[in-house]
Amino acid sequence: MFIIGLILAVGGFWVSKEVKLSFLETLASQGILLDFGKTISAIGVFLILFKVIDVFYFTPLRESIQGRTTALEATFGEAESLRSEMTQMKTEFEARLAQTEAEAREKIQAQIREAQEMRTQLMAEATQKADQFLKRAQEDIARDKEQALTEIRQKVVTLSLQATEKLLQDNVDNERNRKLVDDFLAKVEVPR
Amino acid sequence: MGTTLGIGSSLWAAGGGEHHGLSWLGMMVYIALVLGIVFFALSRAKQDFGQRVFKGFWSQLLEQVYLFIENLCVGIIGAHGRKYIPFILTFWLVIFVSNVVALFFPTSPTADLSFNLGVALIAIGYVQWEGMKANGVLGHFKHFAGPKLPPALLLISFMIFIIEIISEVMKNVSLSLRLFGNIEGGHQAVVAMNNLGGSFVPVGFLLMPIKILTCIVQALIFSLLTCVYLSLVTHHEDDHHHDEAGEPAGHSEAQPAAAH
Repeated sequence: MFIIGLILAVGGFWVSKEVKLSFLETLASQGILLDFGKTISAIGVFLILFKVIDVFYFTPLRESIQGRTTALEATFGEAESLRSEMTQMKTEFEARLAQTEAEAREKIQAQIREAQEMRTQLMAEATQKADQFLKRAQEDIARDKEQALTEIRQKVVTLSLQATEKLLQDNVDNERNRKLVDDFLAKVEVPR
Repeated sequence: MGTTLGIGSSLWAAGGGEHHGLSWLGMMVYIALVLGIVFFALSRAKQDFGQRVFKGFWSQLLEQVYLFIENLCVGIIGAHGRKYIPFILTFWLVIFVSNVVALFFPTSPTADLSFNLGVALIAIGYVQWEGMKANGVLGHFKHFAGPKLPPALLLISFMIFIIEIISEVMKNVSLSLRLFGNIEGGHQAVVAMNNLGGSFVPVGFLLMPIKILTCIVQALIFSLLTCVYLSLVTHHEDDHHHDEAGEPAGHSEAQPAAAH
């Protein structure tokens, strides 16, 4: 194309100088100046120009613009990827947070339930122990009371025997003895 | 030298009347000037290529132009229009810079019909080449015959074919004449305005805003129409599939707007 363009560009000069067409002179006389030599040269110049400008300027410009566009698209793509990754991470984080909250709530509930069970158990044990203590105390009281009564009876008998012995040794009359025994019994009798 | 470069009918000077056009050498000098400006801008812009962010003025400007042309190609031609970006962008740059040169110099390549015809021939030739690549040589020329008609209407198909061929040839004329007419016409308007102000008052300078607008619009129109022509020949098969399925083509909305 370059060589053809060069040939046309130079050949136009020859056409302009050497080729004379009658209708061009007619056109020139009517004010329309046409020179096919210049036309051919213009075609040649353009054929060279297309190639030169395309190779030296438009191709680098296109590559530069495309490179920038590609870089921008890559940056936007990366940003979009990061955004989706962030969204996914946020979703995961929220899910994990919700799960943690649920687990914590579950643990707290379990602890509360355990504490309540323990309280109930402790209360039951305490009640049971208190009942045992009460029962034992009542038994102890009953036993002590029985023992005291037994001891009192034994003492009454002993005292009665002692009193009887004393009465017998002192030879007092019946009436006086009876009075003494009655007094004694009145003295030692313990109200139930 | 003055005759070669067309000096004597500059923006600032009073018009000399009849426009004689540039010689071959004069046009080459102006093409060299335009290409010098284009390569200067591209070389300055290239210093920032490879960096993540373009910080230089020229690189930022070129990037915006590139993105603008990319939108134009993709919007009109479709996703496969990206491969035409270098082609369209080269057109846009050369035509735009040539138009801007026409603001400050007596003439410019785009103010010359011969140069514009060359550019149009390349554009339409490339469109035909791409059409043949996309549809095959037979398929591409078959497309010129219009819709498939019964054998009794073969004559109509033949007439459509002839009209389409003439239409394709006339695209070269319309593209080149439109550009030439706008740039050279603007120049002649400035010269005429300068004549009103005499030799010392550049009244034509008041037309600068509208001429700047013309520079941008004409470069855009040439690029846009080339895109439309490329779209028509490379989307042909898709359009037929869409029509058969009763679906609108993806680019069909863009084309009428672009054609206007």
